[in-house]
Amino acid sequence: MNLSNGKAQKNNNHLIEVRSISFKYNNNARRALSNVSFFVDQGERIAILGHNGSGKSTLVKILGALLDPDEGFYFIDGQNLKDINPKKLRSTIGMVFQDPENQIVAAMVQDDIAFSPENQGLPSNEIQERVDKALNATGLQHKKNSAVHELSGGEKQRLAIAGALASHAKCLILDEPTAMLDPQGRLDVENALKKIHSNGTAIIQVTHQIENFDDIQRILILSHGEISWQGDFNGFIKNSERLGFELPDAYKIGSLDINYIARNFKGASNQINAGEKIKSGNEFEIKNLLFKFGENKPALDNINAVIKKSQWISIIGRTGSGKSTLVQHLNALYKIQQGEIFFDNMPLAQHGQDLKSLRQKVGLVFQNPEEQLFSPNVHDELAFAPRNAGFKNKELEDAINYSLDCVGLDKNFLTRNPLALSGGERRLVAIASVLACKPECLILDEPLAGLDASYQKKILELLKSLRDSGRTIIMITHDLKTALNYSDEIMILNNSKLVQIDTPENVLKKLTEILNPDVLPDILKISAQIHELNRDFPLTYDYKKFMSCISQV
Amino acid sequence: MYFSSINLGQYYPADSIIHKLDPRAKLFVMLMLVSAVFPSKSTASLFIWVLIFYVLAKLSRVPLRIIFKAARPIIFLVAFTFVFNIISVLWLGNILNALINAVFTSSRLLILMMFAVMLPLTTTPLELADGIESLLRPFEKFGFPANECALMVAMSLRFIPLLMNETDKIIKAQVSRGAVLDQGNLLSRIKAFFPVLIPLFIIIFRRADDIAISMEARGYIGGKGRTRRKPIIWKYFDTLAIFITALIVSLMLLYF
Repeated sequence: MNLSNGKAQKNNNHLIEVRSISFKYNNNARRALSNVSFFVDQGERIAILGHNGSGKSTLVKILGALLDPDEGFYFIDGQNLKDINPKKLRSTIGMVFQDPENQIVAAMVQDDIAFSPENQGLPSNEIQERVDKALNATGLQHKKNSAVHELSGGEKQRLAIAGALASHAKCLILDEPTAMLDPQGRLDVENALKKIHSNGTAIIQVTHQIENFDDIQRILILSHGEISWQGDFNGFIKNSERLGFELPDAYKIGSLDINYIARNFKGASNQINAGEKIKSGNEFEIKNLLFKFGENKPALDNINAVIKKSQWISIIGRTGSGKSTLVQHLNALYKIQQGEIFFDNMPLAQHGQDLKSLRQKVGLVFQNPEEQLFSPNVHDELAFAPRNAGFKNKELEDAINYSLDCVGLDKNFLTRNPLALSGGERRLVAIASVLACKPECLILDEPLAGLDASYQKKILELLKSLRDSGRTIIMITHDLKTALNYSDEIMILNNSKLVQIDTPENVLKKLTEILNPDVLPDILKISAQIHELNRDFPLTYDYKKFMSCISQV
Repeated sequence: MYFSSINLGQYYPADSIIHKLDPRAKLFVMLMLVSAVFPSKSTASLFIWVLIFYVLAKLSRVPLRIIFKAARPIIFLVAFTFVFNIISVLWLGNILNALINAVFTSSRLLILMMFAVMLPLTTTPLELADGIESLLRPFEKFGFPANECALMVAMSLRFIPLLMNETDKIIKAQVSRGAVLDQGNLLSRIKAFFPVLIPLFIIIFRRADDIAISMEARGYIGGKGRTRRKPIIWKYFDTLAIFITALIVSLMLLYF
């Protein structure tokens, strides 16, 4: 590392520099961070990559001066943090966290952006200037008079970024800023960050997933509280496998001459895939379902769909497209206003004993289900649903053990406090608590959101084995790549209407039509570009199939 | 059964003289109008009040449709007053009298509420909070945390809808796990609500923690030294508005 040569050459100072930082939480034997050193220069953009539990969040808090390290030094502009007054500190670094809801303090957009310059005690005309600038940088001008609760998730996160920028930060520090957003929201935030970086603001982005990091200059990898690797983007691509990170497909493929491929691709070898109709019976049949909240426009507009037994159906669509409202009809959390739903060829139960047994047969796992845990130990949590369903004694204990077994947790979890588990373990317990009733259909709303790769994989494997054992899986997800690769059928909702429900192969065309190309999975995006030039080239999301098509050229 | 998303921030942005009024002036104006509508006794006076309301609505550039929509929850209260009045007066007199009385009382209430609704429609929560803060400032001498109170009011307007959503989600999740929340005696109902209350409190505490951290990260160190994007400044116009209102109110009270 290039250490600055004393006070004389001020310009040689790094914007941010930490030296040998260590930190340990009181009740923990292991250090959360140990001997971490790095620097960031003016206008630089770096990414700090790490899996869950690598110490990322602790590092973010230390960089934000929200936590004091046990050991080590922190310099801003060559000045020791201890000697910097809080006002200067807060006007040098701006923080953005994962959940925008916890960062926005005012009910109106402009009032919120103004919060930090107001804290700095600036005159009102200057505050307004900064608010306008921040609105501009984040592309929120058209929302400047909106109330916060009217914004989408992506807009809220951009508002949080605007709020951090308004402090005139020279460096933005972001902790998983896109983890809770849908693909379009993610793209909008990414574009805003690119613009902010090109305006000369340094950016430190902490994340567990590699995205389109075109303008990232350096990558640091944090594992077990230590920096285990650092280098530029190309170096990272070469070493990613060894470093334990999966590359986005676009980088695996490398650069392709799309025009050349389109010109020389001959024949559609293995394109026929239809005809393979599913034979199992109907789990749900939805007919002309219409639902309104109050007198607003319909949240579900004339939905007609059949969901087959023992299939894995993924429901995709933008936030507000009606996905959650639809699945909450399936276990009668919403009563049918208009239309019909058949479950197992019988009209869906709406009250009484039938409703009780419906809720046992159709299990619903909400978004962030770990937030709904309330019992003092895992055993009681898992007993909640089966006990409500009337399970007793041995039957109850069997159900508990069965569910724990399903999610792959061992018996000594039963006595543990759910609050003391890791995020991923809590998610598993929450899913188990629904599985305990042995539902024949399991509905999950964004089951992978916010989890790191290893837990995502665990949950996907779990769902796969449940499907293989005859259960119907209905999953709402923003993750198109996962939906395409794992499900038997995809249901696309858009603006409260059903666009299509069909096999992954058969929905590809629709997907490329209705979605912004930049939110498509890499392989699909590239194959769509080639398909556009040469209709013989198949649309595909499958890496192997794509590579075999390419190799024919 | 479930909370629908209740809208607390009713603010309707528009460029009007009413929007530009100092929130303190607006508060006084509304208080004066509302308390003057109360004692009005004649049909003529009610008619004039409607006219005054119409002028005010026009000046505010908030479409009548929006005002009625904002006032909708109040209609229930008005209807209740109407029915209650009929019943109570029927006890004493004849039907016609009861009906007239009921119409009169409930339309008075309706007008009164329409005036009241104009305040949140033309004032952002933050402006309102700032207005309240500056009215409370004299009490700061006695150690009253006026600034913190104002921030608290503004923040609760931001977070109450969010917590309603959270509550709604938790209720649904527990119901779909078979919880029964609306049966049995009081004790068993309270007990049945623990699966909702416990997660809700955990969420609230965790959020509060995160919010505190992000406020610190945005340089909040208490009310001292904070400035405002839109400082509330008392203008001649505000004094004029109060004067005009006072004039109207006294005329109404004297002659109608």
